[in-house]
Amino acid sequence: MDITQDNLTQDNIVGVFNSTQHYEVLQELGDCYTTVGDFAQAQGCYEKAASLGPDEPGPYVGLGVVALQKDLLDDAEVAFRVACRLDVNCARAYAGLAMVAQQRADYKQAFEMYLKCLELDTDNLTALLGLFQTSCQMGSFAKVIHYLEVYLSMHPGDTSVMFSLAALYMKDGRFEQSRKILLDVLTLDPANKDAANLLEEVEHNLTQIKQGT
Amino acid sequence: MRDTRHEMRDTRLGPVISVLIPTFNRPRYLYGALASVLHQSYRNLQIIVINDGGEDVSDVVNSFSDPRIIFINRKENRGKAFSLNQALSRAEGKYITYLDDDDLYYPNHIETLVNVLENQTDCQVAYSDLYKAYCRVTPDGNRQILSKVVEISRDFDRFLMLHFNQALHVCLMHRRDLIEKTGLYNEDLNILIDWDMTRRLAFFSDFHHVYEITGEFYSPISESDRISVQKRKDKHEYFRNVLAIRTARPAKPWTKIEDMSIIFVADQLNQQVGKTIGSIWWHTFYPYKVYIPLPQADLNMLNTVMPNIIKVPVNSLASGAERVDTALARCDGEYITIVPNGFPVEKMWVENPLYALINTPASNKQGREGFELEGSTDTLWAAVVKKDDLRYARRSFPNLPVRQSLKAAGIALRQPDAEELPFQFDNLLQEAQFAEKDGNWAQAAQVFEYIADHYKNELWMKTEAAKAFFKAGAHTRAAELSCEVNQQRPTVDTLLLEAKVKREKKDFNSAIELLRSAEQILEGHVLQKTAKWEPVEEKNHYGHNTR
Repeated sequence: MDITQDNLTQDNIVGVFNSTQHYEVLQELGDCYTTVGDFAQAQGCYEKAASLGPDEPGPYVGLGVVALQKDLLDDAEVAFRVACRLDVNCARAYAGLAMVAQQRADYKQAFEMYLKCLELDTDNLTALLGLFQTSCQMGSFAKVIHYLEVYLSMHPGDTSVMFSLAALYMKDGRFEQSRKILLDVLTLDPANKDAANLLEEVEHNLTQIKQGT
Repeated sequence: MRDTRHEMRDTRLGPVISVLIPTFNRPRYLYGALASVLHQSYRNLQIIVINDGGEDVSDVVNSFSDPRIIFINRKENRGKAFSLNQALSRAEGKYITYLDDDDLYYPNHIETLVNVLENQTDCQVAYSDLYKAYCRVTPDGNRQILSKVVEISRDFDRFLMLHFNQALHVCLMHRRDLIEKTGLYNEDLNILIDWDMTRRLAFFSDFHHVYEITGEFYSPISESDRISVQKRKDKHEYFRNVLAIRTARPAKPWTKIEDMSIIFVADQLNQQVGKTIGSIWWHTFYPYKVYIPLPQADLNMLNTVMPNIIKVPVNSLASGAERVDTALARCDGEYITIVPNGFPVEKMWVENPLYALINTPASNKQGREGFELEGSTDTLWAAVVKKDDLRYARRSFPNLPVRQSLKAAGIALRQPDAEELPFQFDNLLQEAQFAEKDGNWAQAAQVFEYIADHYKNELWMKTEAAKAFFKAGAHTRAAELSCEVNQQRPTVDTLLLEAKVKREKKDFNSAIELLRSAEQILEGHVLQKTAKWEPVEEKNHYGHNTR
């Protein structure tokens, strides 16, 4: 036993300080309300969380998401920019800025912001799929393919990303790779009609190539 | 207006409870504290507010116009102990409770404790759990709550209470007549005043631990303005107070503690004598008196401010055994510790074997036995035994040295086994906390859970285990433990943990429900079994809301 008067005293004076509990409760609550679509409640939680954790980017990301849901793009952009300023490595804030840009049809900006997000968090599915959509809109696939490949290496079996990658392979003329992934998708999800249709298209292309040679 | 003076005398309402509220220079928070007492579901109260010579708080107190309040508006600052004694002199309740001027009771606080003391226990003292509310104080003086945590929910352990406080005054209720036994507050102390009283209460009663959370006390994250915290920074003053408390001995008879007499054996007075008895003073927290059998000439020269010393004159030619016998004849402790001059007295030197002697079940004992102290040798022999056993041995074998006489009398001497030592709970708790500091959350969680299963303090340890399991990535186990705690007594921590796991499992509605409960606690809208709690508005200039 080593209860010393000193350490007991120290414990009694200082305690184990947890400064983030109230902030965490509000942030979690805000996120849950956002998920169930109660944006008014979510906004209230994020605003309180922001006052409790003035240096935390989380509440501003939440406020940005709520503003996006309400189509208040300017408000959303301001909130995401505040989050970026508080934490230059806040991947979710860059994803938010990308979504704002995408809504404004500023695909170049959206593409860059999605990329920035993925540089910080290769796991961010929202950014991956956003990047895919944006790249389809812009006709530029190389970087997207790289990120989707990285993501799949970490999350094998994610059929939505597998499908996106297969589509990009096809657009890039890499039909064999596309076919292989689509077969995997259909093994995992035999009822996936999009994958079946795309596979049909890919096999048609392959047939034409063989005939051409 | 309700005739509350009449209520105080109406025994059908239950016994009168005296609530003592000393205050010093915190009028802003006093309003909330006092309002929380007046919001109590239990109505039969006598509320004594004592201004300890601080800023005038008459406006605050008078703003309530409640005849149950007695206001002692002293102009002179005499300290908290003096204030409490002054309040006790006016107290008429069967039970006493305490509230600092910046803390809060929840509405069920007094009702919960009265019910326990009146109906559920033989204890004369009960205490509940409290939130420690960490807060940021804004420039306008408002408190922004950052977290509310039940940091300690410790079951009563008398040995620990003798060593250090485990029950804050704000969560305590005790019978008023116990003060006649403990004596009043020690006005020579300026810190740890609460512990001094709870320690003395432990001489006369067990403490009943109520697991409900019935109030909160505040801890600003910047420099604490608590007077006690400021004063603890003076180490010399701090230890002066600690030693005064540890050596305090209320008048006998004690009903819950058996006294210990230490017989200090020395051939003559020398420097080493001063060192050894100084170490005894410094390191002993179990109540004791030290008996020093020395020739009168030596005793005359023995100059010490150490309390609880009994000088026992002996013949200068007396042997060690004869000196022990002479002292033993005067000892009034139930346990006797024999310690020679020069013995290495360190932390827990006597408490470890004494605890074993007091608590080892009779079924474990090989007949009568005593315990030798760690560090005891043939030349520096030290032991703790029961007085009756030692007297029997000395009567039976007066010509043998003390150790041999004990053995001859069939009193086995040994050192305690590890499982016989005190503070088993604290040792394991420390082990878990070290594991946490090292980031070894899985190990910490397992130790916490083991403690919960084997060493009481179940809710507290389950909460700690849940937090550690969550950090270790074992979210399902964290949720199970949190759920168990929440069913019995929800806390912000466990509600938050359970909600996080619900959210992970995409059960958002359940997560929202749990988080809203947590938020209600944090915001002060505490769910009560017995009363509806409305948050007390903090007021400025004693009437204007500040939030």
